[in-house]
Amino acid sequence: MSGVQLRKLGALWRLGVAEATAYRTSLLVWVLATTMPLISLVLWRALARGGPIGDYDQAGFDSYFIAAFVVRQLSVSWVVWDLDGQIRTGALSALLMRPVHPVAHHVMINLAALPLRTALAAPVAIAVLLVTGGMSITTNPVALALAIPALVLAWCLNFLTQLAIGCLAFWLTKAAALYDVWIGAYVVLAGYLVPTSLFPAGLAEVARVLPFHAALGFPVELLIGRLSSAQALAGIGLQLVWLVVIGGIAALAWRRGLRAYGAFGA
Amino acid sequence: MSAGFEHGAARRHLRLLGAQLRLSTLAALEYRVGFWTEGVVGLAWSLGGVVPLVVAFEHRSDVAGWGPWELVLLTGFFLIISGVYAAVVQPAVSRSMTQIRTGTLDYLLLRPVDPLASCLTAQFEPWSLIETLTGIVVVIVATAKLGLSPSVGQLGALAVVLVCGLLSLVALGVLMLSASFKAMELQNLTSLMETLLGFAHWPVSVFRGPLKLVFTFVVPFAVMTSYPAQSLIGGLGWAELLGAVGTTLALTVGARVIWGRALRGYTSASS
Repeated sequence: MSGVQLRKLGALWRLGVAEATAYRTSLLVWVLATTMPLISLVLWRALARGGPIGDYDQAGFDSYFIAAFVVRQLSVSWVVWDLDGQIRTGALSALLMRPVHPVAHHVMINLAALPLRTALAAPVAIAVLLVTGGMSITTNPVALALAIPALVLAWCLNFLTQLAIGCLAFWLTKAAALYDVWIGAYVVLAGYLVPTSLFPAGLAEVARVLPFHAALGFPVELLIGRLSSAQALAGIGLQLVWLVVIGGIAALAWRRGLRAYGAFGA
Repeated sequence: MSAGFEHGAARRHLRLLGAQLRLSTLAALEYRVGFWTEGVVGLAWSLGGVVPLVVAFEHRSDVAGWGPWELVLLTGFFLIISGVYAAVVQPAVSRSMTQIRTGTLDYLLLRPVDPLASCLTAQFEPWSLIETLTGIVVVIVATAKLGLSPSVGQLGALAVVLVCGLLSLVALGVLMLSASFKAMELQNLTSLMETLLGFAHWPVSVFRGPLKLVFTFVVPFAVMTSYPAQSLIGGLGWAELLGAVGTTLALTVGARVIWGRALRGYTSASS
């Protein structure tokens, strides 16, 4: 990458940080609105009072849901709403004129909010850690090393899914509403409300190969040491498969969509 | 204040309500895709929230003393509450927040009705009532399945807690709206409320300690879903009933007072 290109990305990063800082209260409410895993923690901890549920005891649920909260905070993006609005209002035209690819613009804006978001979420996570008495993190060096790529891939999966659905705004007026359908499935199937390994037999196996689980449940289980090295590698492989599939769909939708966008002269 | 004036004011408020309902319904019929995007998706969302309950019963025979069909009954009441939230509270609050942000609330304040009434009727999303209707069916089916034959007293208690639950829900909406006068970036408070509503899926007896107090007296999800179900099953005592009424009164009056203060701080679009 040339120095000029890097400077442009740097400028976008600063723009993203400035935006996130300006809307910090809003960001904090978003952090609080994604505390669903902590709600689940309270519930499952209460249910496990009388003994473990499946292979999770109280401490197991603590670790799982704290990790789920952290992974959710680190893998979040909102390009679907931005893109939906930009396409509908025509603001995308201005982005297309800029010397940076619009997708690169969105990547930088979304990434730039992560440090502040982490800073806002950290006190919540620390408070829960103190109240529950801590969590267990994997001691397997292979799993620990793979946790970072797993997190990066989870972020990419979320971003590309949103990009693909956001591109539907080139043809539909309510693309962002379609994302609600996706997130509804995500909440149930990703292991956001309950670890997928506790699902009834049959449903569990299906849920664990879907992209929802790859974007949340897998990195969480990896982080808290519930996966062997072989399972961890297989999980990364599955993430890569979904990355290629969803990335391909997003690329196709973007290219076709731009043509449609130009055609109706926005 | 004469009786005639009172009468006129009541009529004006009713006419406002009628007009807003008609407009929203017409708009909803215009955008029939809302049947899917608001009605069916909202219902699917709420039913998705039941999955953890199903998983819990995979591993346990009861959840905090509640059997499977008793929780179905509770889920019915959850659907009713959640549908009302999505159809009435959330759209009105979101719309009014936008008007506060853009300054068009000015026009609303000029109307010869109570500003809060104007805000709370600002918009409806009738398609979301599909969820409420489903909830009513679920309640009836569960009541039949449990073989309950509620007495008049029990039905009375049910009516009281249902009204309390709905009033508290609206009061919470008014509090969110009042908060948005302070900082216009609090638009996403309604999403936070949606997340919190997830707690209402569960009987309040699951919770212990401070959370139980919060869900009984501060954000009274217990009044919204657990108590109605308990009133039919027959486990709702006088103490709980009085607690529900007291909490609702405090919340409603508090919301009204805080709203009044927040409105005085409104500086219109020009500043």
